[in-house]
Amino acid sequence: MRPYFQKMPGLGKPLKENRIARMRESRAAIEAVEAEIAAAKKAVEEVGIPAAKINERGSLTVWQRLERLVDAGTWHPLHSLYNPNDNEEGTTNVVDGLGKICGRWAVIIGFDNKVLAGAWIPGQAENILRVTNLARRLHIPLVWLVNCSGVKLPDQEKFYADRRGSGTTFFRHAELEQEGIAVLAGIYGTNPAGGGYQSISPTILLAHKDANIAVGGAGIVSGMSPRGGFDVEGLEELIAKTRDIKERPPGRVDIHYDETGFFARVYDEETGVLDGIKEYMRALPAYDPMFFRVAEPAEPQFPAVDLYHLLPFNQKSDYSFDEILARLVDGSEHMEFRPDYGPEVYTGLVKIDGMLVGAIGNRQGLLPKGYPEYADYPGIGGKLYRQGLIKMNEFVTHCGRDRIPLVWFQDTSGIDVGDIAEKAELLGLGQALIYSIQSTDVPMMLVVLRKGSAAAHYIMGGPTANRHNAFTLGTATTEIYVMHGETAAVASYARRAVKDKDSGKPLEPLAQKMNEMAQKYYDTSRPAYCARHGFVDEVVRLKELRGYLKAFAGAVYQNPKSICPRHQMLLPRIIKG
Amino acid sequence: MADVLAPLAGKVLDVLVQVGSKVEEDDELVVIEALKMENTVYAPAGGTVKEIKVKKGDSVADEELLLVID
Repeated sequence: MRPYFQKMPGLGKPLKENRIARMRESRAAIEAVEAEIAAAKKAVEEVGIPAAKINERGSLTVWQRLERLVDAGTWHPLHSLYNPNDNEEGTTNVVDGLGKICGRWAVIIGFDNKVLAGAWIPGQAENILRVTNLARRLHIPLVWLVNCSGVKLPDQEKFYADRRGSGTTFFRHAELEQEGIAVLAGIYGTNPAGGGYQSISPTILLAHKDANIAVGGAGIVSGMSPRGGFDVEGLEELIAKTRDIKERPPGRVDIHYDETGFFARVYDEETGVLDGIKEYMRALPAYDPMFFRVAEPAEPQFPAVDLYHLLPFNQKSDYSFDEILARLVDGSEHMEFRPDYGPEVYTGLVKIDGMLVGAIGNRQGLLPKGYPEYADYPGIGGKLYRQGLIKMNEFVTHCGRDRIPLVWFQDTSGIDVGDIAEKAELLGLGQALIYSIQSTDVPMMLVVLRKGSAAAHYIMGGPTANRHNAFTLGTATTEIYVMHGETAAVASYARRAVKDKDSGKPLEPLAQKMNEMAQKYYDTSRPAYCARHGFVDEVVRLKELRGYLKAFAGAVYQNPKSICPRHQMLLPRIIKG
Repeated sequence: MADVLAPLAGKVLDVLVQVGSKVEEDDELVVIEALKMENTVYAPAGGTVKEIKVKKGDSVADEELLLVID
């Protein structure tokens, strides 16, 4: 198969000076949003007790631990701005992402020990579920930096219980282990109750000498018997017990290393724990990337900075998706699947870091005359029509058969609508694509380049593809909503407008309401909002996109559950014809 | 010689070339606002822009002549 993959057909061409000049303002607008996002991420990093104070206490912060643990240049953060419950702390209190440890990809997550000593807070359980799902989908180790004081008690009703509540993590850890995915934990500080289970549920426990893990911490051990209220005498007793137990909290190293042996190892230095994790990472199964590479890795022929001149900030402007792809894939090479069919969608094989990946993206701009073939109106890119839907169904199915991971690029306003579109079976073909995705078992990732809208956001590998979507990235130009705000305002108030007009009411108040609705849609579809509410797993700079693609491909091919020998693949042969 | 026609009816938002401009196939020529989008019209072939028939703000009909490339 070497002739298929070593040198594929070229994609893209150099940018013209007039394009660069024409897109100058657009680039500035994109970079301004990227700067806002970067500032918001920085603020989350600095939340809580200052690092210097944590260091004075003899501890490292979670960020310092990550710095020591993760191979330089491989950290790809996720969920940096995730805070779906708008916690006053500005975070879900865990830090996570993809990174390499000793050359092997892992999903890495740690409690932010600067905030409430790493407590459980609202939204954290959902964040952790995303992370455990990611490890499962990519079939790579999950590494925990546990430093968790347990439940933030005043808010317990918001996250302790429920089907997807904080305890779900422990079941998910068991699930990962049963699927052969190791969960490693480096344990620091005091970890009572929930923190105790965070510590005990992983596969290998490596502890710092001052760490403790317990079913219940000092706080509740000294007050386990409710007496129907509090009085001064009771408080005196409580004070005495607390003073006594604070010196010797339950579940110390002398219990869980010397007695139970739960801790595999104990280290005197905090950094020793991290070195221990590295040692265990080296012991885990991982293919050398060479095993799956179909060609030598190569950078794209064109610079990533071109993306700022290609992807317009103005959502109404068209652009060439093929030129975007040419800035992201190895050697700017590809093998396009059915280029003469379904022109609104790109489908094709590309290489990322030498590994084979399927790519699907919405093309933009006017479509060729006569398309869609079932209608007498013109077709426009970003929208999905019959052929595009059929093509994506076919491509996904072939990728599933050939075990090729998929990257989706969305910039879609939705699926064609109206009776003509219904006759063309678009409703059925959209759901068929969901069925096709669900029939495969390959990891997928999504980049929402600009619009993720209507049902098209679901069917094009969106986060709703729970079992397949490893993670979703947004950019400075991302906007996600069921429909454009003005469309929604018309849908909501068109009849009311007729009624008001017929009854002689002034129309200004209704126009005001409609403008307010459109504005709300705008505000709640911005990149930062999407990140805060988990519509995307991270908003990244355009020039960082390729790094995430490489992380995805590297992680997918590190230890796949299933392999298709390249000489038994069908898709490259179908493309060749 | 290539006539560049409006691919659909709409309003000319921008003309990106001038008479005498050298263009290559697929270069951007004109932007037309239609179907709520700003749609770029690309050069069907390389050459020199000989004549421009529209200006910014004009309304154009489907298949109306936009410019000529020699």
